[in-house]
Amino acid sequence: MQFDDKVPIYIQIKNVLYQEMITGQLAPGAKLPAVRQLAVDLTVNVNTVQRALGEMMTAGIVTSQRGKGNFVTLEASRITQLKEQLVMTQVEQAYEQLHALNLTDEEIMASLKQYIAQRGQQDD
Amino acid sequence: MTNVLAIDQLGYKHNFKTILHDVDLTLEAGKIVGLLGENGAGKTTLMRLITGSAKGTGTIAVCGDTQAAHHRSHVSFTEQLRGFTANTRVDRVADFYRTVYPDFDGARFEELVTFLQIDTSLKLAALSKGMKEKVIIALTLARQVNLYLLDEPFSGIDSMSRKRIISSIIKWKPDDATMVISDHYVSEIAPILDEIVVVKDQTVYAHKESDAVREEFGMGIEAYYESLYEGSVQHD
Repeated sequence: MQFDDKVPIYIQIKNVLYQEMITGQLAPGAKLPAVRQLAVDLTVNVNTVQRALGEMMTAGIVTSQRGKGNFVTLEASRITQLKEQLVMTQVEQAYEQLHALNLTDEEIMASLKQYIAQRGQQDD
Repeated sequence: MTNVLAIDQLGYKHNFKTILHDVDLTLEAGKIVGLLGENGAGKTTLMRLITGSAKGTGTIAVCGDTQAAHHRSHVSFTEQLRGFTANTRVDRVADFYRTVYPDFDGARFEELVTFLQIDTSLKLAALSKGMKEKVIIALTLARQVNLYLLDEPFSGIDSMSRKRIISSIIKWKPDDATMVISDHYVSEIAPILDEIVVVKDQTVYAHKESDAVREEFGMGIEAYYESLYEGSVQHD
């Protein structure tokens, strides 16, 4: 796993795990690998994994069961909410960047549609 | 939070030349710390002062103990095997460690040997540079201590060996032990560092949490480290 050295590692660890939850690789209720195993798999520090998991617990997305380990929340709605949040963050970034180029909302919509249409053709 | 290492006003001179001065440094238990600085900055000297094999002014407390003679029992340092003849087999070196250090854990050593793919029947003279470094890491991590000092464990070795060594550090560092890894090239180990300590101008020039550097300056550890030499970042 390659990390961007400019972004705090604990945030990148959260993003890796969130992505796996949203795509269903880690289903609701699934057991997460042990902290040290996650650290080895991602080639990061155990303390940094702890920090990432701690924040995920505070956010209610990961639950800890004493002596059993860490689990993805059983509340599927929490994962859906998480997905919506991540989507909105990405959309916001893209929108702000296009807006900074003085594009109107209509032009932004049009260029996005155009991009998707062209991309579809390339895929065929 | 307990401190594994507390250095207060440390100084060291060699042939009337100041190598280190006014070094204050406190490290908490359980951290992995990158000790960064150019070649000749005094990183190895600092490690030797911590182990007690060199003597300076000021105080160094390891696990609260300021007696230099006691430090060897708290600190595992990557010694470069210079004391052994080239004909010595790796398993004989391990036997020596077992005898000298009561905290040397034979079972841990065997696990490390397997993980790092070391052939312990080889003689020291037959080891490649990468293999020799793996042997040193296995010997150093097989001891059960509070403080591990790894002096440039990655210099001049291939990337596969480097990755294995990094994984072995993550796997075998005890949770409450602190590890200091010196290097003058940081990018490959940056993701595993809790903190960085920069040695520059004969002293500890900067001591920061790695993720705090990324958060505060929006720059990578390597870039931050380089910026200290260009003087473009405020430090504390």
